Amino acid sequence: MTGAPQERVDGLAVRGLAVGHGERPVLRDVSFDAPKGTVTALVGPSGAGKSTLLRCLNRLLVPHDGSVLLDGEDTAALEPTMLRRRAGLVGQIPVMLPGSVRENLAYGLDPAAAADDAALAEALHAAGLAAAFLDRPAGELSGGERARVALARALTRKPELLLLDEPTAALDAAAARHVGATLRALAHDGLGVVVATHDLAFARELADRVVALRDGSAVTGAPAELLAAGPVGEPPA
Amino acid sequence: MSQPLVQVLASAAFVLAAAWLAYRQRLGLSRSLLTAALRAAVQLAAVGALIALVFKVPVLAIAFVAIMVATASLTAGSRMRALPGSRRIAIGAIALPALSAVGVLLLVGAFDATPRATIPTAGILIGGAMLATTLTGRRLVEDLTAGADEIEARLSLGDRARDALVPLTRRAIAGAMVPLVDQTRSAGLVTLPGTFVGLVLGGASPETAARVQLTVLLTLLLVQLLSALLTAELVTRAATLPGERVAVPGAV
Repeated sequence: MTGAPQERVDGLAVRGLAVGHGERPVLRDVSFDAPKGTVTALVGPSGAGKSTLLRCLNRLLVPHDGSVLLDGEDTAALEPTMLRRRAGLVGQIPVMLPGSVRENLAYGLDPAAAADDAALAEALHAAGLAAAFLDRPAGELSGGERARVALARALTRKPELLLLDEPTAALDAAAARHVGATLRALAHDGLGVVVATHDLAFARELADRVVALRDGSAVTGAPAELLAAGPVGEPPA
Repeated sequence: MSQPLVQVLASAAFVLAAAWLAYRQRLGLSRSLLTAALRAAVQLAAVGALIALVFKVPVLAIAFVAIMVATASLTAGSRMRALPGSRRIAIGAIALPALSAVGVLLLVGAFDATPRATIPTAGILIGGAMLATTLTGRRLVEDLTAGADEIEARLSLGDRARDALVPLTRRAIAGAMVPLVDQTRSAGLVTLPGTFVGLVLGGASPETAARVQLTVLLTLLLVQLLSALLTAELVTRAATLPGERVAVPGAV
C-alpha cells in the first residue's frame, strides 16, 4: 500500500494499484480518484496500460497489489457480477450480441426491467440514439451506432460508474463531439465517468481531471496542467 | 496365387500408382503417401497379431481397451493443448461415455461379453467419442481466443463466467454433432458404414450386418453427445477463473 490519502471518496478511488501480464509489470503504484459527477480521462501512448487499468476497475483483471474502492468499499470484497453492473465497462470494440438492439439492451436484466421499453428507450436516448432503433437488428448497425448501443447497454444496468475504452475510436469528429457531450451530460446527472483515450483534444475538452500513464506510473492533475504542454508520452516539440 | 497374397499385391499396386501420380503432378505428396501406407500396414499387422493374442487370453482385452482410450485421449488432448489439463479433459470426456455404453450393451446382452465382440464395439465407440471430444474442444479453444471480446462484453454486463461461455459451448457442441448426424442420416445411402462392410465381408448375413450397424450408430449418437457435453463442461471449468473471470487459452 502507499501513503495515498485514505479518505472515503464518493465514487472510485484507486490506491497503489500494480498489475502485470505474467512477469512483465504494466502498471505500478497507480493512485487516483474518479468521483461521481466528474469525467476522468486516462491518457497515455498505446501500450501504456489504459485498457489494463480499466479492466482492473471492474475486476476483469485482478491487480497484483493495491486496491480499487467504490464508495469507500474495496471492490475485491464485492460480488464481481454486481460490481460490473455498478461499474459498467464499454470495451473498445462495441460487440453486438445476437438479436435486435432491444435484446442487446435487455441482455441480462431481470424480466421486469427487460420488458420496460420506456427505460430501454431512455438509455438509448441518453447514448444519442432514437427509440426507433430498438427494433433494428444489432448486427446491421454502423460502427458509430454500435458504439452508442454498447453505451446504452451499460446504462440499462443503472451504473454508478461508466468505464469507457477509446469511445471515439470508431467515430468521426462530429460523432465524437456528440459522444463527448453525452458523457458530460451523464456526469452532470451524477455518474462517475472514466474514459481511456489517446485523443488528447477529446480529453482536454471533456475531462475534469486527467490521469496520464507513462512508464507504468500515473501523474494526475487538471487537463490544463497536464495536456497543455503537448502530447503525453511524446517529447515536447 | 492365394487370395491373401493377391490382396497385398493389389493394394501395394494401388498405393504405388497413387505415389507415382502424385509425383508426376508434382504435388509433393508421394513420400507422405508411401510412409502413411507403410505405417498403416505395420500398425494393422501388429494390431491383427495383438488381437489374435487377446482372443486367446481374454483378460488382455481390458488392457487393449485401456490402450485404445489412452491413445484416443492423447490425440484429442493434443488438439486442445492450449488449455490447462487438456489430457485429463480428453480422458474424462472419452472414457466415461464410451466405456459406460460398452458396459450397458454387454450387460443387457446386446453383444456377447467376448473379446471378439467387445473390442470392435469399444473401438468404434471410443473412436466416436474421440471425434466428438476433438471437434468440441478445438472449436472451444478457437472461440475462446477469437471471441474474447464477446466474452468480455458479456462479463462486463454482469454475466457469470459460466453464463458468458454458454453461447460458445452450445455452438461447439452443435458443430461437433454434425458429422455423426449426417453419417447416421445417410447410412446405407451415400456410404456403407464400416461395421456393416466388415460383417458382410466376414460372412454375416446382410440382415445381421444392418442390425449390428444400427445398434452401433444409435449408441454413438448418445456417446458422442455425452462426450461433447462433457468436453464443454470440463473446458468451461478449465477456462473459468475465480472472481467470475475467463482465461483466454495461451494468454498469460
